[in-house]
Amino acid sequence: MVKVHFRSCFILSFILLLFVGCNASLAPEYDKAIVEKTIATSEATMGFLEKVAQGTKVEGFKTRENQYNQLIGAYDALNLQASARPVPKSVALDTINKLLQTKGSGSISGDYPSAYAFEKIAETLRKMKKTDREKGLGPTAVQAFKGQIAIYLDQAITYESFLKR
Amino acid sequence: MQSDLTTIVQEIKDVASAIVKKDITTIKGFSQRQAKGLATQTLIIQKGVLNGEIDDDLKEFFYNGLRDMTRNFVNTLKGLLIVTIEKLINAIVNALWKFIDSV
Repeated sequence: MVKVHFRSCFILSFILLLFVGCNASLAPEYDKAIVEKTIATSEATMGFLEKVAQGTKVEGFKTRENQYNQLIGAYDALNLQASARPVPKSVALDTINKLLQTKGSGSISGDYPSAYAFEKIAETLRKMKKTDREKGLGPTAVQAFKGQIAIYLDQAITYESFLKR
Repeated sequence: MQSDLTTIVQEIKDVASAIVKKDITTIKGFSQRQAKGLATQTLIIQKGVLNGEIDDDLKEFFYNGLRDMTRNFVNTLKGLLIVTIEKLINAIVNALWKFIDSV
């Protein structure tokens, strides 16, 4: 019993000493502007994908080119904004990284999943644009592009919203 | 007034349980959506390959897409868990400080 009490007290003291005087910060700050821009851009993307849902012909590509460019630009900008946030630096993070390393796991880094998702959405739209320009798109191909974009959007929106704590 | 160990331990458990319960609901919902999305995407690619709309070039693109999406799904889960850990650390430390400040 005494041994259990001593162990508990030791753990509590260790935690207090480790984080005394500061709040632990392991993830980037919540950015309302990123969340709002992501939601607005996702609505524009889904609207565009709905318009081409029945497939496209090469001849009509010029009328769509500008929309592709706007969406690609928006996701590139979101990628930059999301990546630009500094990696949190704290005693807590250093301690967790050391523990992860001793367990053979990779450390926590600043590779934010939302930034990666934005980068991949822009890449997906570039590929869709190129295919549309060169061959046109069938409805199933449009569905596949839409599916890929939707999965990445879910990852980005979920992560960015979760940062509000 | 000095606090006893049982009260402090109970406070830690309560604080931690509340955070974990709330976050697990979000994480579970996200995982279910992603699993369904990835499964649906696989079927769409299959259909596109069969009807000829997805040629070899696109097939490779979407195959790589499935791999990268799955990888980022796991990284997103990791990111969500890190946020939960952060919330737990701060909530527990704040709870402990309240006991010290109450003396």
